[in-house]
Amino acid sequence: MASLNLQRNLLWIAVALAVWAALPFLVPRNIADLLVFTGIYTIAGLGIGLLLGHCGIVNLAQATFYGLGAYASAYCTVMMGWPSITGFLVGAVISMALAYVIGRPILRLTGYFLALGTLALSAIASALFFEWDWLTGGTLGIGGIPKLDLLGFVLDRPSRYYFFVWIVAFACMWAAHNLVDSRSGLMLRAMRDSSTAAAALSVDLQSLRTRVFVVCALFGSLAGSLFAHHVSFVSTQSFTVDRSITFLLIPVIGGATSIPGIVVGALFITFLPELLSKLGDVHQILFGLALVAVVVLMPDGLMGAWDRFRARLVARGGSDA
Amino acid sequence: MTLSLILQAIFAGVTNGIVYALVGMGLSAIFKGSRVINAMQGEFAVIGAMTTVLLLTKSGWPYPAAIAGGALAGALVGAFIEVAFVRYMALKNASEDSFLLLTIGLALTLSASVLFFIGRDGHLLPPIGGEGVVLVLDAVIQLHALWLVAIGIGATLALRAFFHRTTVGLSMMAASIDADGAATTGINVGRMRTYTFVLGGLLGALGGILVTPLISVDYTLGLNLTLKGFAAAVLGGLTNPLGAAVGGVTLGLVESLAIIGISSSYKDVVAFSVLIVIMILMPNGILGRAGRRGG
Amino acid sequence: MPDSAPLLALREIGHSFGGLSVLRSVTFDVPEGGIVGLIGPNGSGKTTLFNIISGYIHPLAGTIAYRGRSLARESIQKRGLTGLVRTFQTPQVFEKMTVLENIMVGCAKLTRTTMLQDLLRTPAARGQMREIYRRAEAACERFQLGGLRDLPAASLTAGQRRILEIARAVVGEPKLLLLDEPSSGLNAQEIDNLREWIVRLNEQGITVLLVSHDMGLMTVARTVHTLYFGEIIASGDMAAIQRDPKVREVYLGV
Repeated sequence: MASLNLQRNLLWIAVALAVWAALPFLVPRNIADLLVFTGIYTIAGLGIGLLLGHCGIVNLAQATFYGLGAYASAYCTVMMGWPSITGFLVGAVISMALAYVIGRPILRLTGYFLALGTLALSAIASALFFEWDWLTGGTLGIGGIPKLDLLGFVLDRPSRYYFFVWIVAFACMWAAHNLVDSRSGLMLRAMRDSSTAAAALSVDLQSLRTRVFVVCALFGSLAGSLFAHHVSFVSTQSFTVDRSITFLLIPVIGGATSIPGIVVGALFITFLPELLSKLGDVHQILFGLALVAVVVLMPDGLMGAWDRFRARLVARGGSDA
Repeated sequence: MTLSLILQAIFAGVTNGIVYALVGMGLSAIFKGSRVINAMQGEFAVIGAMTTVLLLTKSGWPYPAAIAGGALAGALVGAFIEVAFVRYMALKNASEDSFLLLTIGLALTLSASVLFFIGRDGHLLPPIGGEGVVLVLDAVIQLHALWLVAIGIGATLALRAFFHRTTVGLSMMAASIDADGAATTGINVGRMRTYTFVLGGLLGALGGILVTPLISVDYTLGLNLTLKGFAAAVLGGLTNPLGAAVGGVTLGLVESLAIIGISSSYKDVVAFSVLIVIMILMPNGILGRAGRRGG
Repeated sequence: MPDSAPLLALREIGHSFGGLSVLRSVTFDVPEGGIVGLIGPNGSGKTTLFNIISGYIHPLAGTIAYRGRSLARESIQKRGLTGLVRTFQTPQVFEKMTVLENIMVGCAKLTRTTMLQDLLRTPAARGQMREIYRRAEAACERFQLGGLRDLPAASLTAGQRRILEIARAVVGEPKLLLLDEPSSGLNAQEIDNLREWIVRLNEQGITVLLVSHDMGLMTVARTVHTLYFGEIIASGDMAAIQRDPKVREVYLGV
């Protein structure tokens, strides 16, 4: 029975991999482009999912770290002429340091206060991105960010960049999965169930929360750097409070405790507006309503709803037999 | 830096502050009555202002009637949101975060609706009390600003009287303090929650209408006002709607004095930094009243 | 003779909530290896004292020394790391986690991993996790929770929760175990079982400070202090306490 399950799982994984590898060649360029964005958003969403699903923290500041990553890449490559890797590293280091310095005081807040504290952080960052135009180019932005170059292989088409972004995304998903399964993950779940008891067992809530916040910032920055190299042009419009809200929706829609759920959420965020835009200008309203429907009707996100649906099918199958 | 400049800044701060106060009082009333942080509070302001603009320009209503219509629109949307969404989610014991996400979703929907039905353009309302100005020690003050301050103070006093003197207001207070206890004395707790949303919508819309002669209103205004209103409410202690009035004016003053001291472009940076610092260091607001409940 | 300092020494502890005094100059020692009991009617300040010892509340007056060092600046977590572990009046199990996972949390503090190791699942992180698992599994058997190990803690009975909470505390190798009303919600059989556990753990070298108003359970304690409206009114062994006229007045109204 167990080996049968294993075989079936392996089969599923093989099919999924085959579809994944074939996808960019089967779809038109604009869809491949959206799939690249799905990968980038998955990375950014993973960090928020860890915070929301495992620490109960609503992080509305991810656009800040996304922006830091993107500007670091833009500045290092365009302004300084350094190799692309420096942008990734500088962005990651600055984001993690900022998350640590700001996280320590701000994560003492709980519930709504924390959510709105992070939102305020995003608003401050977005104002600063706008004001510090010597660094960010302001609304004019920074253009001409080079495509990534892997040992001479230039990732200049969406279909090529797709593989790179998704391999990074899979690595991040693997890391997030490890974290959930690890000693830290154990303590995180304990903290979510009862922070009082967790404290009595020497689980250091503040330090754990801060460290997950730092990990979230790292993912955000990484996604931002990947974004900069994909679109070649970054400006303040991409890192506003609205973008932070969009990022939060990824785990909310998909299901915060499920790692595949983050991919589902990222697909929803990238593809639904695109599909709806065929209906004309009304699409933003429909997107808002779709979001409201998910929040009201599926409190555990799409993955949670899917799990419940499957459980019901299994229960029905069992009673028939 | 002259005296008149400072005076001008102080007056601008009070004017903006009263708008923040109105949005914040609505937010605080809703939080008090339902434990929901309403992330679409600023959209009430947009709805109120846009409805007034449309009634005035498209339907040709007289200005006072258009203002009443705009405020009513805010109240109706508030009632609708409570009845259509919040009530259902409260029955299902939805988490604090779900309510926040619900109102974020509604804010996106409403702002997209304004964009779709009214368009991208900003709209202005004529100043209440005419275009005139008053000179106070060389500081130029618009007549409208004086009206705004007067109406804001009047609304705050009316709210206070409502909560302390009227049966409905007292029942709302009772339901928010102890829902079960209130229910046993025959107060319809669900209806009280609807009323808090009506009140929140009304106050938000009023704030939007009053600010529109000064700043043009468009579909993006809501989020910023929500944040400022929230800051005002937190400064005032969140569960104390009248505290939000003090909080709003304080925030407005800090902002406009920061503009003189630093640079106008850092207005939001200062305002939101103050919000974060106050939340961390003075969780009960600047009035220090107990009653904050975070999560 | 007492050349070694007591494991825990409370001196003149005082506390009040909003002007209402709940503890007044409470002074007593918990000797290493002992079982010390604390009794008193509801509202006498037992739980407040417990919260002070475990670090959830900072006392307004007095000092606490643990192994001769002041605890004044130590966080709840630090106290736990030095071997001071408490349970709660209402058992605080991690409802959504399994019994085994609950116990694993209890011994997580015996190992160290960095977040980077956890993210990358390094051999060190895996080794530490195996160690945690091994200890938790052993504790599961030891506390006869083996049959329940994969059930979510939410599905346990009150008695099972109590044992789980104690197992979770003990697996972290405490020196001083603080038990807050461990018999509340248990039936007579379960209380006997609990009593045996306390004796056994004490024999294994764990010092116990026990709060209860269950006089039967309290007989395990070698010294009992009676708290009444924030003051200690009598101390001694259980037999002496039961004879004490002040205690009889408080409890029996004579």
